Amino acid sequence: MTLLDVVNLHTHFISRDIDNQVRTAKALNGVSFSLASGRILGIVGETGAGKSLTAQSIIGLLRPPARIVGGSITFEGRELTTMPDAELNKIRGEEIAMVVQNPRTSLDPLTRVGDQLVRLHQVHRGGPKEASHKRAIEMMEAVGIPDPKSRARSWPHELSGGMAQRVLLAMALMNAPKLLIADEPTTGLDVTVQAQILDLLRDLVARFNMATMIITHDLGVVAHFCDEIAVMFGGCIVESGPVRDVFAAPAHPYTRKLVAATPERFRMGSAKSLSGQPPDLYNLPDGCVLQSRCAHATDLCKTPVPNIEVAASHFSLCHYAGKLDANPAGQVQA
Amino acid sequence: MTLQRFLLRRALMVIPLMIGVVFITFMLVRVGGLDPVGRLAGPTATQAEFDSIRENLGLDRPLWEQFGIYLGNVVRGDLGESWLSNRPVLTDIKERAIISLELLALGVGIGTLIGVPVGLRAAFRPNGRFDQLTRILSLLGFSIPTYWLGLVMIFVFFYLLGWAPPAIGRMSLLVSPPDTITGSYLIDGLLTANWQAAWSAATQLVLPVICLAIVSAAPILKQTRAIAIEVLASDTVRYAHACGLPEHIVRRVVLRNSAVPVLTFVGTEVTGLVGTMSLIEYVFAWGGLGQYGLNAIISGDFTAVQGYVLALALFSVLVFIAIDIVVHLIEPRSELS
Amino acid sequence: MAKTTPTYPTQTQPFSARQRVSNRLIGLFRISPTAVIGLLIILFFGVLALFSPWIMPHDPVSSYTDRVLQAPSAEHWFGTDGNGMDVFSRVIYGAKYGFGIAIPAVLLSLIIGVPVGLIAGYRGGLLDEVLMRFFDGLRVFPSIILALAVVAATGQSLLNVVLVLGVLDSPVFARVVRAEVLALRSSNFVESAVAAGNPTWRILFVHLLPNAIQGAMAQTAVRAAWAVRISATLAFLGVGVQAPTPEWGAMIRQGAEFMVSGQWWVALYPGLALICMVFGLNLFGDGLQDLMDPRRRAAK
Repeated sequence: MTLLDVVNLHTHFISRDIDNQVRTAKALNGVSFSLASGRILGIVGETGAGKSLTAQSIIGLLRPPARIVGGSITFEGRELTTMPDAELNKIRGEEIAMVVQNPRTSLDPLTRVGDQLVRLHQVHRGGPKEASHKRAIEMMEAVGIPDPKSRARSWPHELSGGMAQRVLLAMALMNAPKLLIADEPTTGLDVTVQAQILDLLRDLVARFNMATMIITHDLGVVAHFCDEIAVMFGGCIVESGPVRDVFAAPAHPYTRKLVAATPERFRMGSAKSLSGQPPDLYNLPDGCVLQSRCAHATDLCKTPVPNIEVAASHFSLCHYAGKLDANPAGQVQA
Repeated sequence: MTLQRFLLRRALMVIPLMIGVVFITFMLVRVGGLDPVGRLAGPTATQAEFDSIRENLGLDRPLWEQFGIYLGNVVRGDLGESWLSNRPVLTDIKERAIISLELLALGVGIGTLIGVPVGLRAAFRPNGRFDQLTRILSLLGFSIPTYWLGLVMIFVFFYLLGWAPPAIGRMSLLVSPPDTITGSYLIDGLLTANWQAAWSAATQLVLPVICLAIVSAAPILKQTRAIAIEVLASDTVRYAHACGLPEHIVRRVVLRNSAVPVLTFVGTEVTGLVGTMSLIEYVFAWGGLGQYGLNAIISGDFTAVQGYVLALALFSVLVFIAIDIVVHLIEPRSELS
Repeated sequence: MAKTTPTYPTQTQPFSARQRVSNRLIGLFRISPTAVIGLLIILFFGVLALFSPWIMPHDPVSSYTDRVLQAPSAEHWFGTDGNGMDVFSRVIYGAKYGFGIAIPAVLLSLIIGVPVGLIAGYRGGLLDEVLMRFFDGLRVFPSIILALAVVAATGQSLLNVVLVLGVLDSPVFARVVRAEVLALRSSNFVESAVAAGNPTWRILFVHLLPNAIQGAMAQTAVRAAWAVRISATLAFLGVGVQAPTPEWGAMIRQGAEFMVSGQWWVALYPGLALICMVFGLNLFGDGLQDLMDPRRRAAK
């Protein structure tokens, strides 16, 4: 059952420069995907591809000058793009929960950890404080925090990175969310800790039947923990599908380069940043966003690009999807 | 770290600072070759009398020796004698300190009570109409000369409207001051149930306090706004929004996270505001430490200037330390357990 | 379905020179109206200062002994003061003192403060520690009192005022520049400059200076405002400038005694002029910060 449906999402940064000219950075260009309960989707891409922006667009936390200019986002049938902020605020933190990148700076430094969990529960669910407190301890146990009763009295700055990330997970789970969005949940953590957190995450997803979106630039994370993958570049999803299929047979030149750049059988933490200029979002070319960096590019690529289904549920945004090997194979462009 | 160790560490840091401050004060009055001997000797003194006075004051010794002597005197509480008042400088200062403190506390207190809430409100709706207005007003507050403001207020409220009493000090000439307990006419009047004195003191206080409040509100407002805006853009607040926390709770988070930086700022502002207060005292003939000091500087009363500047510096240091301690007590992130 | 893309007029032909200039002005104004208005105010006073001989209706220092303390009238727009001098002309002439003191004082602060900040930030170590402790030590003294004490001690001339203000304000610039240098010290281009064997002075002034100076430049307008204010305060206290010089602070001093006898114009107008000029400088300085902050540019 589809929980989240993003259709043709366009998000732009619209501002005026010093010469009073309007400049538009087209950061998201027709992003579409859907997510069902109990499924884990991994969104990969280099910095600036639009991954975090997609998450922000979904929960309505875009900061000016960014705003959604087209498309729709439906959550359980409800349209999120036109929902007033007050209503969205009720969904955030309850039905849709977010785990962010910097756990130690994101937690309120002036409130004890346990109190923050209780506060989050009280705000959305109300009820007696003891019940919230009990649930807070339960969630801390669920995320593997040892000795939760005394940990609940710690201040955020007393926690290690891994522990703080677990706390964020506990925060996310407090109100039994249906959708969990994790934005770079393991960046900056030790590799062993990363694996623990992700194992935990997968376990929790299975237990609570949540739909989960993991945003990362690390292919290894996606390879080990996700069911589906969406590869982003220049604000578009260039390839999407079941993880195994996409890695076994990448059908888009960009995905191919990504996969080729991670030869160690998708070891986690070995995320290589692809060389090449990021696309200029203020002046995107007509047609395919990858034109200037793609070895296979032809004149056809200057026309609007179709999203071709190369295999079951496996899509590629390329004129030559599925026919790449017929083109003269080029070197990966530096 | 326990409280005692913390205080001890702070005290240890203060001592070199104070020695440095005494040194700067010492050098300050000797910078331009201000010659105290000429003043004391008078126009008819002979060379021999000049020399003997110079020897008396110790000015014939090398500079570093003079400093040593001065430092020793300061530690013992001997700040010399003012040639204007012919009394020990320390006595002069002790009498007047409470007077200025009263004005400072009221003025800066009210200024903070205005500046902080307005700055916070402006930060919650940046670039809105309220914000634009308060930015202009606060920049205006930075630009108005305090003494001129005092003069204009005297003109409007005393001369034109007759609401305020004449600006000739802390008490009307027709009322006799209350018995001295604290030194503050207002407090002493209230404590001794001398309602006439208390009322007179209060009405005299109104204009100078408003003056000081306006001028101190400006920087506090501006800085509070800047701090609050930074907090609003922080990871903490972004995450609070992502958790769906309602507006009033986010507001509380912002307030609490802004408290320490704002408090620290007000502490540092007090130093500058002491200078401003001195000007207000001058205009309103207040008779406090500020006016004493300004007069001393203008008339070249060497020892009085030294004592005055030292007293101001000491006050600033005490304020810094007090704020430091308070911050460490309320911040969970401090080294204090 | 969500909102649709807003459409903006698209440019088909390149702009003419006039259009480019007006676009730039409008763009600057949108981002920071305060900077533009502040600059206009400063320019206004600059014009007053430069063209005063042609603007003043009367000689600022000649007194009409038969017209002492006259209220504002058609002949004397701002009235006359206790010596029978025309207040309006004196106020206009006084603009010269504002610039004449502030500009050299700020320049002096830069000349002292920037190299000190560069060296302290780059070298670090004991020199840096001592300097910073010294500057911190200065902060416990109210700046007005400090300026007053030093000027009173060193002699009452305009030159002294400029020198003292210049020296006293240099720690501000030193601190700003030092902070930038500390941040840049370990950056790539500095390290490669060191590796290439550049002598220290070259690294400081050719490599670090252009980058570190931005913060300092942003402060100049605000420090100029401070210099104008303090010099007027000193003059009000009778230090540094003597009557009958038509300096605004000195004029307020003259007018103070008349405030309680109803001749409000003598002190009011110079004060208003002072407020406007300092306000303009503060506005401009504040607006400069807006220009440097990219977050303010969301288009409506």
